Amino acid sequence: MQDFFELAVGAAASGCIYGLIGLAYLLVLRPTGIINFAVGEWAMLGAFGGYVLLTTYEWPYPLGMAVALAFVFLVGWATERIVVRPLVEKGAPLLAPILALLGMVVVYRETISAIFPPDPMPVPYAFGMGRLELGPIAGTYQSFFTIGVTLAVFIATWLFFERTVAGKAFEAVALHRRAAALMGINLSRVMALSFGAGAVVAGLGGLLVAPNTSAHYLMGVPLAIQGFTALVIGGVGRVAGPLLGGLLLALAEQLTVRYAPIPSGYAQGMPLALLMVFLLLRPTGLLRARS
Amino acid sequence: MKLVAMLAAALFATAAQAQDTIKIGVITDRVGVSKPYAEPATEGIIFGANELNKKGGVLGRKIELLIEDDQSKPDVSAALARKLIDQGAVFILSVSLSPATQQQQTVTMEAKTPQMTPMNSADYLTTQLDNPYFWQTGPLGSVQIATLLAHAKTRNLKRVALITDNSELGQAIAKAFRAGLEKSGIQIVDDEVVSNGSTTATPQMQKIRGANPDALFVAGVVTATNVLIFKSYRELGLKMPIHASYNLSVPIYMTAAKGLVDGITFVDAYDPDKPEVKAFEAAYKKETGTAPTNLHGYGYDGIHLVAEAIRKAGSTDKEKIRAAMQSISYSGVMGAKGMKYGFPAGKRAGFDPNGMVVRVYEGDRQGRVVYVGQK
Amino acid sequence: MIKGATAFIVLAGAAFFMGDYHNDVYRKLLLWITLALGYNFLFGICGQVAFSHFAFYGIGAYSIVIFLFQFHLPFPVAVLCGIALCVFFALAVAIPSTRLEGFYLALATLALGQLFIVVLNEGGAVTGGTGGIANYRLPEIFGFQLRGPWYTAVIALLVVATYLVLVRLDRSWFGRACRAVRDNPEAAAAMGVNVARTKVIAFTLTSALAGVAGMVYAFVDNTVNPPIFGIDNAFLLLFMVIVGGAGRHAGAVIGATLLFLLPFWLSPLVGHHQALVFGVLVVLAILLQPAGLVGIYDRVVRR
Repeated sequence: MQDFFELAVGAAASGCIYGLIGLAYLLVLRPTGIINFAVGEWAMLGAFGGYVLLTTYEWPYPLGMAVALAFVFLVGWATERIVVRPLVEKGAPLLAPILALLGMVVVYRETISAIFPPDPMPVPYAFGMGRLELGPIAGTYQSFFTIGVTLAVFIATWLFFERTVAGKAFEAVALHRRAAALMGINLSRVMALSFGAGAVVAGLGGLLVAPNTSAHYLMGVPLAIQGFTALVIGGVGRVAGPLLGGLLLALAEQLTVRYAPIPSGYAQGMPLALLMVFLLLRPTGLLRARS
Repeated sequence: MKLVAMLAAALFATAAQAQDTIKIGVITDRVGVSKPYAEPATEGIIFGANELNKKGGVLGRKIELLIEDDQSKPDVSAALARKLIDQGAVFILSVSLSPATQQQQTVTMEAKTPQMTPMNSADYLTTQLDNPYFWQTGPLGSVQIATLLAHAKTRNLKRVALITDNSELGQAIAKAFRAGLEKSGIQIVDDEVVSNGSTTATPQMQKIRGANPDALFVAGVVTATNVLIFKSYRELGLKMPIHASYNLSVPIYMTAAKGLVDGITFVDAYDPDKPEVKAFEAAYKKETGTAPTNLHGYGYDGIHLVAEAIRKAGSTDKEKIRAAMQSISYSGVMGAKGMKYGFPAGKRAGFDPNGMVVRVYEGDRQGRVVYVGQK
Repeated sequence: MIKGATAFIVLAGAAFFMGDYHNDVYRKLLLWITLALGYNFLFGICGQVAFSHFAFYGIGAYSIVIFLFQFHLPFPVAVLCGIALCVFFALAVAIPSTRLEGFYLALATLALGQLFIVVLNEGGAVTGGTGGIANYRLPEIFGFQLRGPWYTAVIALLVVATYLVLVRLDRSWFGRACRAVRDNPEAAAAMGVNVARTKVIAFTLTSALAGVAGMVYAFVDNTVNPPIFGIDNAFLLLFMVIVGGAGRHAGAVIGATLLFLLPFWLSPLVGHHQALVFGVLVVLAILLQPAGLVGIYDRVVRR
């Protein structure tokens, strides 16, 4: 039983990472309709920001984190300006920016691999390596930190969309682009901001997961797939969707590895099989959009 | 007419040039998954070739390396093997992914061109195909586990756990480890795989903790995944000793896994106290300004072994090189003191079964050799 | 038909004027073109984003090898069994997937692609695990061993046949139905097109074509191993169709040719940075020609 609680904390932390990446997809997807597979690479950039600032230059954690996230914000914003905007203005079909961003996956990854060696780079834990035990619930400091930060991000995002005028503007764009433009909402600014915000959230996910996985140039694609899976399971209709999907995915993954009586090699395939079944039973995801 | 003459002259010039050098092909990976290992090995090959050329080359001719990048794609790799053969390479050195080396073999076998991998360690490379033109001097997975077990025999292991990653080499090494453990009558009480790209290894390590083995064998070869495994090991407060594959011999662990590796036993093909190694490290540093790693050593030995075979053959005739290679005995940088590469009795895996050493991490540093061979 | 025969003679004949290396690259290029043509039909014409194309390529390749050399079935039977296997898996994915739209299908097929690799790696003696299967060769046909340029001719036949089948299909009512389903499923349904059935047929057909291409691939190097059939290649295939021009057969040919050969050109020019340059070029191509490079050709012709 103790194992179970311990596993639950770890799985929750993993689920939060998946959720953050899923949210990064959602932030871009909602106002623009673009599925951005580059979020995994943004997470990688966040992780490398952590490596450079926190490991190499040994900046204090909050400062290093803030600067690393500011950097990925700029990357996200610039990506929108350079890669997405021209296509949208040309009136290219929606698939064009999606695929251009898929191409950017290669560009980000190879840029990092040109600058850094191909080895995994260490990124420090926020509160060092240690273990917190609250009764039967035990986990690393980093797990609890990840869970806390993720919840804060999701609550902030929810408040933004529900309680602020700017958030309503995002929502309006998501619902109807032309109507939003007529209402005087600056479409291009909304788009740029959504990319910047998506990059920050993804970068945060990368920074939080990197102490475990290390920062390395191939880390983006697995994260992009996990986050996408979280998003699809949770549904794109609501802010909480990716978080719920991420938690479910991580639990399914880790419980099958831990408890399912099948060889470990096959256990890796279980979540994928579950996912396919889930998709077929509930193609719109767990949470439906509120009408 | 003039044009024809010019063309003829040009053709003649290239032909003459071809006479001057001995072409050796290298298939490496500069951008794919094998890059972290293939790049240093290739640097070792280049350094070794320069060194040979400074001493006058082989058979009085300079070595010319033809280096191709296969991106760790086996199909591209096979095409590049053909390219190298077309360009007149008399020997091909493969330092990319094991399946890529395997797919090249289908070409070298047909074209009867000698090929060797100085670092791939999957056992199947010499067993799956009966290719008399292929040799392997990477330390096999089966040698790794035998060496680790020889060192651990005083510990009287009965029940152990095995963990690896899902990379192709990690799986191949784990297979060899499994076979070696079973052969020694040691029970594998838990057999785990961590997928590359996982965010945690906690569920696997919990199972291992539950199985309470005498020792944990780490067959994985992906550094990031191994670091993840060691983090979970520390976090869950596991105490059983760790015996790890040769991946732990890569120096990156000293920086990437700070505070995680102390006390881990690992198998290596590199003994820093060996005089040949000291000479190699000094020369490499002098030439390039950077210190080499054991990965450079694999490539360095590879090119020297090839040069030795050509010297012994006394010609660049592929058939003569093949015969010379099969009867070679060469001592290089890699392996325990006094270890020699050789392919006796038609064997084609040439790393001396007693040539590996066992080392233990002291703090974050790779300690000295504590055990040699598998006796 | 005459055009097809001419194309075959030109494509196959070219092989006899090439060295071993160029023949090898040419064979693999023709296979990529075959895959791109099929994928273009699925993605460009029918609008289904799937990442399972390489899994079916792999099912075809592995099944022919396993059926021939482990079950010792006669050649034609092995081929039919391989195709049947592809059709079975394609239907198993496609029929339930009709409930899925857009990127949900992408995710389901992405999962399928990853699962396939897990099965290959864990398949023990049947699939040969991570080392794959080697040490077999194409059975002799009437005492004749197809090899070298002769085998290239087989692949040329495959490309031309695939092309003809797909073009014919594209021009038939089925092709129109596919395009209608892509552009507007509701309108298509209103016009009497059975949307679900159209999608299933398109998916199954193109998956089976990929399987056949896989069978041909299995004898190109006489070895099959997992890395070939991974999802990296599935993404590359998508790029090929996009860069060339989705929905256009010529686009698939152009895209596959350029992107397959690009690394061979780039490698000696930029060395370590070839992947970076490759990525930049792909992004630039999409930015400058969102409708694909075939658009440039159109403009030239129109002038």
